[in-house]
Amino acid sequence: MKKLLVLGLLSGLLVLSVQAYAHSPLMSCFDNGDGTVTCEGGFSDGSSAAGVSMIVKGPDGNALMEGKMNQDSEYTFDKPEGAYTVVFDAGEGHGVVIDGANIVE
Amino acid sequence: MKKRFIMLLTAVCVLAVVSSAFAHFMVVYTPEIAVEQAEDMDVRILFTHPAEAGHMMDMGGVEEFYAMFQRGDSEPKKIDLKGYLKQIEWSNPGSKAPAFAGVVPRKEVRSMGDYVIVMKPGYYYEKEEDIYMQQITKVVMNVGGVPGNWADPVGLPCEIVPLIKPYAMWTGNVFVGQVLSEGKPVAGAEVEVEFMSHMPDLKTNSMPEASSVEYPHDAFVTQTIFSDDNGYITFGIPKAGWWGFAALGIGPDTEHNGKELSQDAVIWVKAVDMK
Repeated sequence: MKKLLVLGLLSGLLVLSVQAYAHSPLMSCFDNGDGTVTCEGGFSDGSSAAGVSMIVKGPDGNALMEGKMNQDSEYTFDKPEGAYTVVFDAGEGHGVVIDGANIVE
Repeated sequence: MKKRFIMLLTAVCVLAVVSSAFAHFMVVYTPEIAVEQAEDMDVRILFTHPAEAGHMMDMGGVEEFYAMFQRGDSEPKKIDLKGYLKQIEWSNPGSKAPAFAGVVPRKEVRSMGDYVIVMKPGYYYEKEEDIYMQQITKVVMNVGGVPGNWADPVGLPCEIVPLIKPYAMWTGNVFVGQVLSEGKPVAGAEVEVEFMSHMPDLKTNSMPEASSVEYPHDAFVTQTIFSDDNGYITFGIPKAGWWGFAALGIGPDTEHNGKELSQDAVIWVKAVDMK
């Protein structure tokens, strides 16, 4: 019985990890050229990123802005003055971080 | 003298027969169709026999050139790209014809998702057969790995709809597609298949004379397959590179300028070696 439970747990884990693999988080950001930056999110299976938490962080890791991906899986924010990073936070193991220095038009 | 003349005549006849066996292929070419981050996209459009860097033909201009874009299940969006094209001259060994070149700026294709690129040319008049040809051509590009509408029909008069991501094929994968005319499957469609064995050179707008493939027999240059009862085609990809599929004479338009018209559907896919 206990063995069965372990097996059940194991297969549950397996399913979870397989799912996680099939749903890699993806994000791409670009500078709109008008003082704002737009990030687009998505998953490798095509599912929507609407509602996923977004954090814009300053050089010391403090959150400058926080928000969520909109219905179109997009998040637009005012470009910070200094260095920054953008975090797409879709839960544990589902994050994408982009350095602001790599965000171009 | 007479004997020589006959020999020459025979040679010319054989040559004529062989060259008419070449398949016509609209080529819509850009070097990469699976890109991590979009750059400016260099495009060429030409009408030739790509497996042999063959005779260049005048496609009769470009009527439409656009991309249907979709990221995930968002609303598909049409991006008109025709304005980026300009006419050039494309040279293959022994033959030249008008073709088109363009650089699509990154801003048009920087969003993650699928770009189903569609090119509808004008009409090419094939003197030898006294018919017109129009090959409506698709190539699908992905940016960033988020899939979209790659498996959806665009709604063209005729098209080949892929059932395997046409920008993410390994060498040895099987290409599966459905041949549609006015949205309905075409049973028994004749589909020609060619390998781009002379890679287009975008600097010189030409194809090199040297082939990357040694063809043992003419039947290997253009392979022919047929769609099944439900319009599906299947084709194992034996070599990395570009493969073109042309479903012949399946479109709804059958006449142009009072002459017979072959309205064809072309799709280009790219296979990559596993390393």
